Amino acid sequence: MPFFPKAASLLRNLFMTRRVEQELDLEVRSHLQLLIDENLRAGMPLREAHRAARIELGGAEQVKQQVREQQLGDSLHSWISDFRFGARQLYKNPGFTLTVVLTLALSVGANTAIFSLVNVLLLKSLPYPHPERMGTIYTRINGSSAASDERHNVNGEQWELLRDNVPALISAVSAGGTSGANLKNGSHVGYVHAGRVSARYFDVLGIQLLMGRSFSEKEDRPHGPKAVILNYNVWRNVFDANPNILGQAVLLKSEPYTVVGVLPQGETTPLNADVFTPLQPSRAGEGGGTNFTAITRLRESATSQEADAQINRAWLSRSGRYELAGNPGAKVSYHSVPFQKGQTDSLRPQVLALMLAAGFILLIACANLAGLTLVRMLRRTPEVATRLALGASNWQIQRQFWIENLLLALIGGAVGTGVGYLGLRGLLLLLPEHFLPVAGVPLDARVMIFTLTVSVLTSVLFGMLPALVARKVDLRSSMADRAVARPGGLRLRQSLLAGEVALTVVLLAGSSLLIRSLIYLETLPPGFNPNGVMVAKASLDDVRYQDPATFRKLLDESTAAMREIPGVQNAAVALSLPYERILNDWITLSDGKEAGHQDGSDLTYVTPGYFDTLQMPLLVGRVFTDADGSDTQRVAVVNQAFARKFYGGGNPVGRYFNQDTLIVGEVSDVPIVSGLDSVAPIQTEQTIYVPAAQVAGGSLAILHVWFQPDWIVRAAGPVEGLTAEMQRALAKADPNLPASGFYSMKDLLARTLATQRIEVALLGSMAALALLLSAVGIFALVANMVAQRTREIGIRMALGSTVGQVMLQIGRSGVNASILGVVLGLILSAGALRVMSSVIYGVGVYDITTIIVVVLTISSVTLLATIIPSLRIASIDPARTLREE
Amino acid sequence: MSSEPTTLLQGTLDLLILKSLATGELHGLGISRRIQQITGGTFLVKPGSLFPALHRMEEEGWTSSFWGDSENNRRAKYYRLTKAGRKQLEAESKRWGRISWAIAQALEAS
Repeated sequence: MPFFPKAASLLRNLFMTRRVEQELDLEVRSHLQLLIDENLRAGMPLREAHRAARIELGGAEQVKQQVREQQLGDSLHSWISDFRFGARQLYKNPGFTLTVVLTLALSVGANTAIFSLVNVLLLKSLPYPHPERMGTIYTRINGSSAASDERHNVNGEQWELLRDNVPALISAVSAGGTSGANLKNGSHVGYVHAGRVSARYFDVLGIQLLMGRSFSEKEDRPHGPKAVILNYNVWRNVFDANPNILGQAVLLKSEPYTVVGVLPQGETTPLNADVFTPLQPSRAGEGGGTNFTAITRLRESATSQEADAQINRAWLSRSGRYELAGNPGAKVSYHSVPFQKGQTDSLRPQVLALMLAAGFILLIACANLAGLTLVRMLRRTPEVATRLALGASNWQIQRQFWIENLLLALIGGAVGTGVGYLGLRGLLLLLPEHFLPVAGVPLDARVMIFTLTVSVLTSVLFGMLPALVARKVDLRSSMADRAVARPGGLRLRQSLLAGEVALTVVLLAGSSLLIRSLIYLETLPPGFNPNGVMVAKASLDDVRYQDPATFRKLLDESTAAMREIPGVQNAAVALSLPYERILNDWITLSDGKEAGHQDGSDLTYVTPGYFDTLQMPLLVGRVFTDADGSDTQRVAVVNQAFARKFYGGGNPVGRYFNQDTLIVGEVSDVPIVSGLDSVAPIQTEQTIYVPAAQVAGGSLAILHVWFQPDWIVRAAGPVEGLTAEMQRALAKADPNLPASGFYSMKDLLARTLATQRIEVALLGSMAALALLLSAVGIFALVANMVAQRTREIGIRMALGSTVGQVMLQIGRSGVNASILGVVLGLILSAGALRVMSSVIYGVGVYDITTIIVVVLTISSVTLLATIIPSLRIASIDPARTLREE
Repeated sequence: MSSEPTTLLQGTLDLLILKSLATGELHGLGISRRIQQITGGTFLVKPGSLFPALHRMEEEGWTSSFWGDSENNRRAKYYRLTKAGRKQLEAESKRWGRISWAIAQALEAS
């Protein structure tokens, strides 16, 4: 088959249309002329010759059309002209086009933004080589009241067994998170995030170091040599990219650490640390509890079944198994879970819920658009009828509509991508640093394909209804109808509206519950006076402060210096503050009928001025004084919750726990972040306060790895340069102690409730978007009713109806749909919102206030969206309308 | 083999046009008259069928065209067979021979 001439003809037909046309015209003319000549030669008179020639030709235009129809590329030509016609139609109806494009852009944008999160958290692989071989270990507990299947941290014994008895895996552990540490270079001391990792950590991640090596087995053993690995930014910014840094000692935590490696540029680790030091895990101390996070990589030769079998064999043989504490009959097993899933599991429900909400938005938008295109379709019935009458096929008409929908979808999708990009940027600004376990959220090819699919799918969904209606255009009645659109499709549009209002109700109710619980958390009775308190955090993870005397000297001198700042009333230090995470301890009561009772309690150390500085009311007994020192009676102050839990609300003062610790006072409860029995992000819980001066040296070392203490001052009014003054006061006591940050109590609360705030912001904006789209839907319905029934309204008013009566009559269509939607939505919410019970606090799922607020919001929006378009009724002049008849 | 009558007819028209051009180049009217002549007046090809066929055959690459002067000095578009066109003529002739023989056989059978 000769391909070349065909292709040449196709190109000619498509791109040299005018020349092809001219030549065809010339050819037909010349044919006519030749026929005339022939007839003349046969002896016909001139006029007769012309007539006969024309008859034989059979109409020049018809001949040309017949040629055109079988030319190559003819169907393409008609597609192009349909597209042109479609574009012209959209351009001629800017109101319609703009509404549709904006609706699409907002809904597609929301979906693009949320999907890019889903993509990066749940679909894309983490940025490590062979991520499919990387894993985490889940603990499955069956046959007890608290069945679970989740990632646990591991203890020292588990780690040693995993390292030594599971040859199918390369394993490593790290501390649960980074801690603050001070890094000295020359005279400058900087605050860095330090991550503690075991040997092989970087091997499991598959990270090739820029230079140097990972930690050796020797460095990872308890009391091993002190070594440090720097990330690229620290090496470049702090050490000026010194190429000879390997083997040199740097002063970290006031001790020399030998630099053994530098990470490559842009390399992320799950810990996100600035510097890494050996974890040196063992069964003692920190390793006595489940304080290590394990990561694994399957060896080339092994299968995950082998690995799981080895893990179970190793870990089930342990003598002391913490999983069985509290439920001895439980069946415990272990299994590997892909790293990706392990890292993002905690975010998965939220992300999926958001995706669902975004899907709702899309459905609402579809319902709106279907309504809009339906009306437009009905308006165009005369045009369709005319085209049908002129011989257009049903397929040609349908194709025209589909092409217009597709055009709208593509424009809307393109704008939507832009909206999504901006939305995503806004969302990422909202997130706290290191909130997501990934470096960035790109709009990659997968997101783009998703967006395109969503746009086109939307177009199909909202185009389907009108196209189905168009099928039923009755030629005769439409032509005879004087081009007046029928009020048809009202029922259909009302059902669509009811559907979208119902979804809006669900989103509104969901976000109201989140807002209510955020308000509840933010307005918990503080139990102290948070106004006028300024907080400075600094790392005491420092070898010098493992000595209690040096530690006490630092606290005394720094608080004394802070009290001297003009305007400052009081100053104190504590291991952790209200609204912060707190240490979990295990205590034994020592006297009375509760003797021998053991349970968990929160614990923090404080300096004597602490309760005064926070203005935390003392209920019974006394607070600490400078006389409570390392060589005096061990004392403690407890809170009300402690007295309630352990002494049934009786007076705790004078009682002993842990044999030698005497309770000397009781203070009011404050909200904290619990690690004991977490039922809410912040809550009040049994808490013990001990004097900082009575904490033993061994405890100081580990406490300061986990927590950075807080220096607090109370000022009567705003103090200018307070933070600088606090830093100076700190430097007076220790010039090598930089503060890592300054916070108000409000900042601390906001940091703790960051997740809740983000949830509110995201679901809230989704609900607002849904409300806006529903309002547009109701508005469009009513406005359209007014426009369609102008004649009818004119007649009614001429017959004596008042404007108010007519407005009621017309507005009813929108109001009815909305009422039906609210009822449907409330029923839907009753089922759907139950899944939220784990993320709402201080408010029930079926909260009457929330329901009332939602119903009132929808009602007022419905009324507004109904009244504004029906105001046009007042301007209808009955006389003129009737004259037009 | 497809038994569509239109295919057969179209095939016939193509074959006749190819055959008419076998002896040399002709313009549209010339082709029409030549077909009339060689079929003894049985087929009268109207412009409405002739021109679409001519353009299609040119797109297929069986013919090529050029503008020239007619016998009484009118500009006219002339068509002539290409190499592919000659091959097509040969193939079509053979096919037609087979069909007409087969049909004749069928009609003679009792």
